[in-house]
Amino acid sequence: MMYRLKAHELTSCFLKGTYSAIEITQYFLKRIKKIQPQVKAFLSILEERALTKAALLDKKRAEKKPLGKLAGVPIAIKDNMHIAGEITTCGSKMLSNYKAPFSSCVVKFLEEEDSIILGKTNIDEFAMGSSTEKSAFFPSFNPWDLKCSPGGSSGGSAAAIAAKLALLSTGTDTGGSTRQPAALCGVAGFKPTYGRVSRHGLVSLASSLDQIGPIAGCVKDIGLMMEVIGRPSKYDATTIHLPLESFTTNMFTSLKGKTLGVPWKFLENLKNATSKNFEEGVKILKDLQAKIIDVDLNILKYSVAVYYILLTAEASTNFARFDGIRYGLRSKNANTIDDVYDLSRKEGFGSEVKKRILLGSYVLSSGYKDAYYKKAQKVRQLIINAHEKAFQKCDFIIMSTAPASCFEIGAIQDPIEMYYQDLFTMGANLAGLPAISIPSGFDDKLRPFGLQIIGPRLHDVNVIKAGHLFETAIKFSPEIPPLFDKEFL
Amino acid sequence: MKDLPYDFWEPVIGLEIHIQLNTKTKLFSSAPNHFGDEPNTNISNTCTGQPGTLPLLNEEAVKKAVLFGLAIKGKIAKRSYFERKSYFYPDMPRNFQITQKDTPLINGGKITTIVNGKKKKFQINHAHLEDDAGMLKHFTTFTGIDFNRAGVPLIEIVSKPDLHSPEDAVSYTMAIRTLVRWLNISDGNMENGSLRVDANVSVRPKGSKILRGKTEIKNLNSFNFLKMALQAEIRRQIALYSENMDKEIVISGSYRWDVASKKTILMREKESVEDYRYFPEPDIMPLILSKDFIDTTKKNLPELPGERLSRYVKQYHLSLTQAFTLVNEKELATYFEQAVFYCSNPKSLYNWLFISKNLPSPQNMATLVNLLEDEKITSTTAKQILNEMLSFPEKTPDLILKENPQYLPINDNKIIEKIIEQTMQENLHIVEDYKKGIKKAFDCLMGQAMKLSQNRIPGQILRNLMLKKLKSMV
Repeated sequence: MMYRLKAHELTSCFLKGTYSAIEITQYFLKRIKKIQPQVKAFLSILEERALTKAALLDKKRAEKKPLGKLAGVPIAIKDNMHIAGEITTCGSKMLSNYKAPFSSCVVKFLEEEDSIILGKTNIDEFAMGSSTEKSAFFPSFNPWDLKCSPGGSSGGSAAAIAAKLALLSTGTDTGGSTRQPAALCGVAGFKPTYGRVSRHGLVSLASSLDQIGPIAGCVKDIGLMMEVIGRPSKYDATTIHLPLESFTTNMFTSLKGKTLGVPWKFLENLKNATSKNFEEGVKILKDLQAKIIDVDLNILKYSVAVYYILLTAEASTNFARFDGIRYGLRSKNANTIDDVYDLSRKEGFGSEVKKRILLGSYVLSSGYKDAYYKKAQKVRQLIINAHEKAFQKCDFIIMSTAPASCFEIGAIQDPIEMYYQDLFTMGANLAGLPAISIPSGFDDKLRPFGLQIIGPRLHDVNVIKAGHLFETAIKFSPEIPPLFDKEFL
Repeated sequence: MKDLPYDFWEPVIGLEIHIQLNTKTKLFSSAPNHFGDEPNTNISNTCTGQPGTLPLLNEEAVKKAVLFGLAIKGKIAKRSYFERKSYFYPDMPRNFQITQKDTPLINGGKITTIVNGKKKKFQINHAHLEDDAGMLKHFTTFTGIDFNRAGVPLIEIVSKPDLHSPEDAVSYTMAIRTLVRWLNISDGNMENGSLRVDANVSVRPKGSKILRGKTEIKNLNSFNFLKMALQAEIRRQIALYSENMDKEIVISGSYRWDVASKKTILMREKESVEDYRYFPEPDIMPLILSKDFIDTTKKNLPELPGERLSRYVKQYHLSLTQAFTLVNEKELATYFEQAVFYCSNPKSLYNWLFISKNLPSPQNMATLVNLLEDEKITSTTAKQILNEMLSFPEKTPDLILKENPQYLPINDNKIIEKIIEQTMQENLHIVEDYKKGIKKAFDCLMGQAMKLSQNRIPGQILRNLMLKKLKSMV
């Protein structure tokens, strides 16, 4: 029953000698192979790499050498982060042959702490999407309901945790891409304060919004991973230099003296079931002795517009480097330099990527920049201010993570409706705040909900501790999707 | 230009000068910043725009740019930020350049220089930091890209439209080259592209204050081309206006200088200029400079070329042009200062700097000039000693004189008189000419006597004795 363990439990089992790293690795690799056809969480499985690492760990343990914080933990990496020597596709044809020349900081930290990387997970192309349906290769499926999307863009990573194909995974969160799939898959997902985790080696979507975060089966595992990846890096000028903090000790036992702000007005359009689940969550927090107040975040109704202007502006330039010249797809039909640009990008990018590049180029172009890009920057500042004002009155802001539980693949065709999947999450990206999504129960079809706790900048530790307390207080079952709550031997 | 009514027109010129900073590494990556190596050896993942790489600002480049800003007495921005300038070109690894547009690091400032022997001041509009592109290398069947230059730090220095002649432009550019060399922030080498000039030029009737349609001549990579291109372009514009009175006939756009035809050639019109879609670079935090940092950098400023120029005039009594020449050649000026320490006559020393291509040690040069000024040797002998010193760098002028007594001047009047007598006997017809009052005859006799003495008689002494002798004969 290894799959039922949490990451922090499995690592102590490994240290105690209950399991060898090879046993753990073979167990999870087998589980992945059996479940992959149904869930399609992975784009690549790094069997050889994982077994090599496992053998090394067993040797280290036998020689009584010091072992890292994540020793023996099987982990999955979203396929927009580099692992030196492995392919980073970003879910795009453009990079289907791109071998990473170096490892991302996060992967380096995770490997240094002796986790075992099993593979790379599916993603909406270049993390542009909220369902993994925009992956150039195939969509992933939600382990709670295989007709449904696991959310996105870190849908593969969230589905892998839900189906227990790995015990930790990395997500990236530009507008909710870690928290929304975590919510839809009934697992925990965290977006750190902007700059808390190095983006070096992450293929940028929107540089001022992107943040890497953990996805895990419990909040304690989220904290454990944050202790590993939440370190400054000299390779990313936007990282914050803070002393290392403990995310896993002195946990909260109540929320006495804490004030939680709820933007009731902004949440008034929540669908019935979601609203009901959210109110139950608030009640649990109240029972934990938190004071609940109303806060005004109505400005967030503009966040989708602001977000899609700023994101596309930054992305349109970040993606300019994919030109077929130095790496990536180069069209075989290209005869001139302009062909190389035009045809390679035409063949390499999917429709959502093209749409956003066009939109981003448009909002930055002369004559429109003031009306769109500059105005959006101003509203972003107002959103930051509104959060600051709210945090003068409360310690945390509470919201639903997603507008609803998971949806069937293909059910959302209107792009704007898809963009509204992230309505409640993108505020934290625009304001650079730490935010966690914790499972909060199910709808009547046993599709999970998530509750979101948002904290002030740099209050990552407290957000995780509050999330941990909520997780221990809320009671629901099952914890694991029934389809996959069994051994696959 | 005499065929044109040049005198009625005033050229208006603004220069954009790109200076490559001589930092150890590139502006946003740790790859070496070094010219002339094998293609694609000084590169990192950042220089080739690999996905997942992030720019990291080079502090040395910031320091060097600030040094420049302080040297031109510009205002250093305490807060500036970088922006992305988007355009597709194969030598541009990210397909956007990281530059500064709305908040340049340096605002204002001025360059003082000498044009035609007169001091002139030119205003700088602004200067900013940005990264260089790579280079395309064209072969017969393909084009290669060398990314060694991609990411090299540049400062772009934009003048006000303050220059009014090709001479102004050359002198201004020379002063900037001199400045960056004295500041040791760039080698200022135009051949290698460390200093590149784009010139904006228009002409207007003299006395008019309007600015007419300007053209931009790109990438002028020598002083000579800068001058020739401006002359040609000014001529072309005057000719156009002269033939089409009152019409805005000059097409605004980018031109290049064609060496073969000696003409400026239109590359693209202004209408088709790309939209660069500038916006703040989100991967780099705004550059905040403290007052302390700026003050400390100010204290570390070396003696500036302008100050040096004034000092040369005041301390060594060099002319403005001489001082300017010296200041513009950093190595020569350094040599001069080392030599002048031992030398009694700086002006004479200055002249001797240009006698031969190579120079002996500064101290030996100073000794040589001193010997000459004390009339211990003649200038001809001095040249011989100089040559010997260049062949045998270990020998001092004194040693060479000791080894070659024949270099010593003939100071004995009796010997000189004998030489004069011999000269006259051998040139009786010239003596006759002299007696007839032909003035040239005297110089001729002087020359013959010098030749006979192997140039060892100090000129003044020979002259006096020769005159005396001739007078006694009349």
